[in-house]
Amino acid sequence: MNAETSDISVTLTVNGTPITKTAGGHLSLLRWLRDVADVTDPKYGCGEGVCGACTVLVDGEPTSSCIVLAAQVNGAAITTAAGLCEPDGSLGLLQQRFHEHHAAQCGFCTPGMLLCARAMLRDNEGSEPLSRGDIREQLHGNLCRCTGYSPIVDAIEDAQSQGIVR
Amino acid sequence: MFVKPFRYQRAESLADACAMLRDAGGGAKAIAGGQSLLPMMNLGLLDLDAVVDVGHVEGIRGVTRDGGYLSIGALTRHADLERDAAVRAGQPLVSEAVRWIGSSRIRSRGTLGGSLAHSDPAAELPLAMIVAGAEYDLTDGSATRSVKATDFHQGFFTTDLAEDELLERVRVPVLGPGWGWGFAEVSRRRGDFALVAAAALARVAEGRVIEARLGLCGVADRPIRLGAVEIAVEGATADELDARVGPIEGIEPASDTNASADHRRHLARVLAIRALTDAVRRGGSA
Repeated sequence: MNAETSDISVTLTVNGTPITKTAGGHLSLLRWLRDVADVTDPKYGCGEGVCGACTVLVDGEPTSSCIVLAAQVNGAAITTAAGLCEPDGSLGLLQQRFHEHHAAQCGFCTPGMLLCARAMLRDNEGSEPLSRGDIREQLHGNLCRCTGYSPIVDAIEDAQSQGIVR
Repeated sequence: MFVKPFRYQRAESLADACAMLRDAGGGAKAIAGGQSLLPMMNLGLLDLDAVVDVGHVEGIRGVTRDGGYLSIGALTRHADLERDAAVRAGQPLVSEAVRWIGSSRIRSRGTLGGSLAHSDPAAELPLAMIVAGAEYDLTDGSATRSVKATDFHQGFFTTDLAEDELLERVRVPVLGPGWGWGFAEVSRRRGDFALVAAAALARVAEGRVIEARLGLCGVADRPIRLGAVEIAVEGATADELDARVGPIEGIEPASDTNASADHRRHLARVLAIRALTDAVRRGGSA
């Protein structure tokens, strides 16, 4: 069997824009996004679903795009970090909080951190506010190797206090 | 990351999937959430001609209460299991075990059937199932057979499933009155595989154990029940457990970069006592 015979057509709505591409059925969602569809904000970190750098939202659910096949989620709506921007392309409210708190150093973990933050604030809407401990607990699957966790937690806490969920 | 290309086949039914697996003659595996299979492939530990996607098969996702059992479809995702009110009421040991699996991303895609069929010896769900006394329904697309969890998990990543069989449904007995539950785990980092985990159920009257069920994972090639300890703690109060439980016999923990065999042996006893203590404290009140 060769790669050509395994090509399949996949359509994903990425940040609101439908994209259809025919590519190898073995491609992870991350490789499909980055190498086929040229959507490069999800990052390749570990390839085993441990580091969180490749996190995207698949129909709203945080997902490690390196350990799901694009074909498995054919038809889904994908949100990447760029999907958190305002319609004019400027930083979204959550992204602005990250900017203000200097919650990025090298920036490699940032797309995953933003989407994880987005999902936790949305899922907690209407409940008791998350404590710093809760926020850290929910970020345990996102690694930052610049040791920038404190400003990241600050940014999420600040966003929460302002009622920001996106 | 740059895996050798393989064929992707989407199955619309279990019969469809079993036929695809049969046709591949051992060169294919079923994929549901893929949260163990794809990391293994990305790490080069597994080389397949094809994967058969069973994730879109209808009718085997979700939990129903069926008399004295919880009937759980194999495609039920960890996150759904964690939140399910019927599971929390019927067998809270399962709800608790699920919380220890990986990260929220893994729990939002990983499935019950996938975890059980993968049969990692350090995984939480197979442990919870052998302690809860669960049975699994397996199908080859036409005939269905039922197997006890303790007979299904046979060794490192090895189960009773034939190459063209799939796990369809899991039946977990509902916890009876007077029973309490406990789950304890130690891992190097939150969300990592367990170094050792313990799961316990205890039927309690007037503060004393009438009957106990206890199991460990991470200490052998499969999750195991500790029959000798279950008998040794009969009649004990929560405070007497420590004196009743001796060194854990019959386990073969491995030494690796995460922990020595001695440390795992130590954890086996400590966690068994912690899980039993919680089970005894929670029991007896119903």
